[in-house]
Amino acid sequence: MSDSTLLQDAVSRVFLDFYRNDRLNKARQEGWCTELWKALEQTGMTLVSVPESLGGSGGSVVEAAEILRLSGKYCAAVPLAETALLAGWALAAQGIALPQGPLAFGIVQGRDQLRVDRNDGAWEISGYVDPVPYARHASAVVLVARIGAGSKVICAPASTYRVHPHANLAGEARDRIVFDEDALDDWRVSDAESSVTVEQALQRGALARAVQMSGALERILEMTTEYARHRAQFGRPIIKFQAVQQELARLAGEAAIAKASAMAAAASVQANDRAEMAVAFAKIRAGEAAQAGASIAHQLHGAIGVTDEYLLHHSTLRLWAWRSEYGSEAVWADKLGRHALDRGSAKLWAEITGSVRDPR
Amino acid sequence: MLFTSTDFSALDLPEHLSQVRHEVREFLHEERRQGSFRVHLGHGEFDAEFSRKVGSRGWIGVTWPKKYGGREASYLERFVITEELLAAAAPISAHWIADRQTGPSFLRFGTEAQRQKYLPAIAKGECYFAIGMSEPNSGSDLASVRTRADKVSGGWKLSGQKVWSSWAHKAHAMFVLCRTSPLAENKHEGLSQLIVDLPSPGVTIRPINFLNNEHHFNEVFFDEAFVPDEMVLGEIGQGWRQVTSELALERSGPERYMNTLPLFFALIDRLKTSPDRMARVTVGTLLARFASVRVMSLAIASEFSRETSPNLATEAALVKDIGTHFEREVTEAVKMLLDVTPGVDADDELERLVGEATIFAPISTIRGGTTQILRGIVAKRLEGGV
Ligand SMILES: Cc1cc2nc3c(=O)[nH]c(=O)nc-3n(C[C@H](O)[C@H](O)[C@H](O)COP(=O)(O)OP(=O)(O)OC[C@H]3O[C@@H](n4cnc5c(N)ncnc54)[C@H](O)[C@@H]3O)c2cc1C
Repeated sequence: MSDSTLLQDAVSRVFLDFYRNDRLNKARQEGWCTELWKALEQTGMTLVSVPESLGGSGGSVVEAAEILRLSGKYCAAVPLAETALLAGWALAAQGIALPQGPLAFGIVQGRDQLRVDRNDGAWEISGYVDPVPYARHASAVVLVARIGAGSKVICAPASTYRVHPHANLAGEARDRIVFDEDALDDWRVSDAESSVTVEQALQRGALARAVQMSGALERILEMTTEYARHRAQFGRPIIKFQAVQQELARLAGEAAIAKASAMAAAASVQANDRAEMAVAFAKIRAGEAAQAGASIAHQLHGAIGVTDEYLLHHSTLRLWAWRSEYGSEAVWADKLGRHALDRGSAKLWAEITGSVRDPR
Repeated sequence: MLFTSTDFSALDLPEHLSQVRHEVREFLHEERRQGSFRVHLGHGEFDAEFSRKVGSRGWIGVTWPKKYGGREASYLERFVITEELLAAAAPISAHWIADRQTGPSFLRFGTEAQRQKYLPAIAKGECYFAIGMSEPNSGSDLASVRTRADKVSGGWKLSGQKVWSSWAHKAHAMFVLCRTSPLAENKHEGLSQLIVDLPSPGVTIRPINFLNNEHHFNEVFFDEAFVPDEMVLGEIGQGWRQVTSELALERSGPERYMNTLPLFFALIDRLKTSPDRMARVTVGTLLARFASVRVMSLAIASEFSRETSPNLATEAALVKDIGTHFEREVTEAVKMLLDVTPGVDADDELERLVGEATIFAPISTIRGGTTQILRGIVAKRLEGGV
C-alpha cells in the first residue's frame, strides 16, 4: 500500500466513527460536530499545511486537501478548511502563531461593512461580516479585508464579536458576526501587502469547497452503486437495467472529473503555479459535477433517497451548498471567461499548456 | 474507486517537454504560414507529405525503441506533441492510426521481422495502416465477427467483409480481425489478427461516402485472399486479447476531446471585442470543462509513463465519454453566442468551422466505442463494487 493510501485509511477511520445518522443529525442541529473536532485535534489533522514553527502540523496544501476530501466524503461538519487552509494560512503568512482551538475565517467583501480604526494606541473594530463559517464555535475569527490600498489580516478572539447563527442548506454553521466598537490588541490587526489578499482568500476557499465536493461525489457514487446492486425490481437488481447503468456511469464520470480537477488545483496552489486558473477550473467543474451527480444519485435512489432517515441527503445537501460557497460556477466562469477573452486564444493556449515562451 | 492511486500533484510536464512543445508549435506555425495546410475539423486531412515532415522531425512513434525508428521518449512527450498537432488541426490522418494503434500492437505482439518491416517506415511517416474490425453485422459486438481465415499450406485463406475501414483506400496495410476457428460457446475465443498488405490479390476496396459525399471510409472484401503465416500478428486464437489490450491509452488521448478546440479558439478571438456576461460565463465554463478533462487524460498518460500498464480502463472510458460530449458543447456554444450560419464553403473562417463541426458531430461518440458501450463498461466495473 502506498503512503497516501495508508494516510487515507487512517484519516477515514476518524471520520467514519461520526458518519452515522444520529451524529450527523445532531451536527445539523448544532451547526457542527464537537466530538469529531476533538478527535481530529488529537491527531494533529486540523493543522496540516500550517508550518510547525507557528503552531501547525506542517505538511503541504496537497496533504491538507487529501484530508479535506475525505472530510467532504464523510459529511464532517467541522472547520477543517477554515482553520488550516484559510485562517492558518493567513496568520502564518503574517508570521503570527496560531491561537488554540477551531478557527473561523471571513472574507470581507460585497455587502459586508467593517471599520477598523486606530484609537488611543489600539484598534477599534465595528461592523459585520457574513457569512463566517463556524464563527459560533471558534476560539477566534480571522478576517481578510481590503482596506485602503492594501489588505489587512485581523485576528479577533471570540470575546470581541456577537454571533447571529445561520446555516447553509446542510445545517453547517454559516454565521454572521457583529463587532460593536470592540478593542483589539496591536498585533491582532496587521498589514498584508500582497501576501494575503481577498482574491487569494477566495481562491483558497473555492479550492477547499471543490475538494470537499469531490469527496462528497465519491461518497454518493458509492452509495448509489451499493443501492443499485441491492435494490431489486422486476425480479432483478436494478443495476442490471441498462437505463440505470448509463446513469450510474455518468455519475462515475462526474465524480472522477471532480476529483481530478480539484486535486490538480490543490497541487497548483501548493506550487503557486497558475493557481488562480486551476482553482477556477476546479470550482466550476466540481460545481457542475455536484449538480449533475446529486441529481443522478437521487433519481437512482427513488423515494428512499429523499427521506430524512436515509444518509444520502447529508451528502447532496452539502453538494448543493458548497457549490455556491466562495463563488458559484457562474461567478468563477465570468472571471475565467474575462481572462480568456483578454488574452486571446494563442496566449491562452500557451498559458494552459504551461509554455512560457512567447506564442504567436 | 476511480483514480485510486493517481497522484494529481505530479502532473506537471517535465521542463524539457516545453522545449519539445515549442518546437512543434514553431513547426506548425511555419507550415501554416507557408500555406501547407488549413484548419479543418472532422476526420482530419490525409496528407502524406505532411506526415513525412512530421516523421522526419521524430514525432511519430516517439515512445518506441530506437532500433525501430522511435526515440524511447515518454508517453508525456507523445501527449505534448499530440496536443499541439490537434490544437492546430494539423492534417495527421495519414499516419495517425499507425502511430497510435498499429505500432504499439507490433511492439507487443509482432515478430522481429514484422517490426523491422513496418515500424521504421511508420515512424518516418511513410507507411500507413487501416483497421479492419467492424463488419456489417458486427459493430459494438465486435467479437461476433464472421470474416474467416482457413488454414492452407504456408498461410491462411481469408474470406469475408469489413466496413468503415478508414483510409483503407490509401493505406499500405491493414489489420484484420477474423475467426480462425469456428464460433464456439465463448465467442471471444478463436479470433486472430492478420496483417494484409494493400493492395493484394483477392482484396477489393470500395468507397462508402460520408454524409457530405467525401470519401474517408470503405468496405473491404476478402475473397480467399492468401495471407502467409509470417503475416499473423501475435498468436492464433489470441485476437480478442490483442485488440482489447491497449484501450486505456487509445480512449483517453487528447484526440477524444480536442477536435473542436480550434473552433473554441476561433470563438474566443471573435468574442474578444465585445464580450457580455453570457459570453464570458460560457467561455469560462467551457474552458473549465476542457481543462478538467485534460487533467484526467494527462493523469492517465502520466501513469503510463511510470508503469507499463496501469489498470485505468474505466477512467479512460470516462475520458472518452466526457470528452466527446465536450466537443459538441463547444459547437453549440458558438451557435448560442454568435449569429452565424454554418457553412462548408463559407468565406468566414468561423462559419466554415461551425459547419464542419456540425456535420462531423455524430462521429466521435460512435467510433472507438459508442457512448452506450463505454458507459456499459463503466457500469460493469461498478457492478463488482466500487
Ligand atoms: C468515422 C468513423 C470511422 C470508423 N473507422 C473504423 C475503422 O477504421 N475500422 C473499423 O473497424 N471500424 C471503424 N468504425 C466503426 C466503429 O468502430 C463502429 O461504428 C462502432 O464500433 C459501432 O458499431 P456500429 O456502427 O455497428 O453500431 P452498433 O453497434 O450497431 O450500434 C448502434 C447503436 O446501438 C447501441 N448499442 C449497441 N449495442 C448496445 C448495447 N449492448 N447496449 C446499449 N446500446 C447498444 C450503440 O451504442 C449505438 O447507439 C468507424 C466508425 C466511424 C463513425
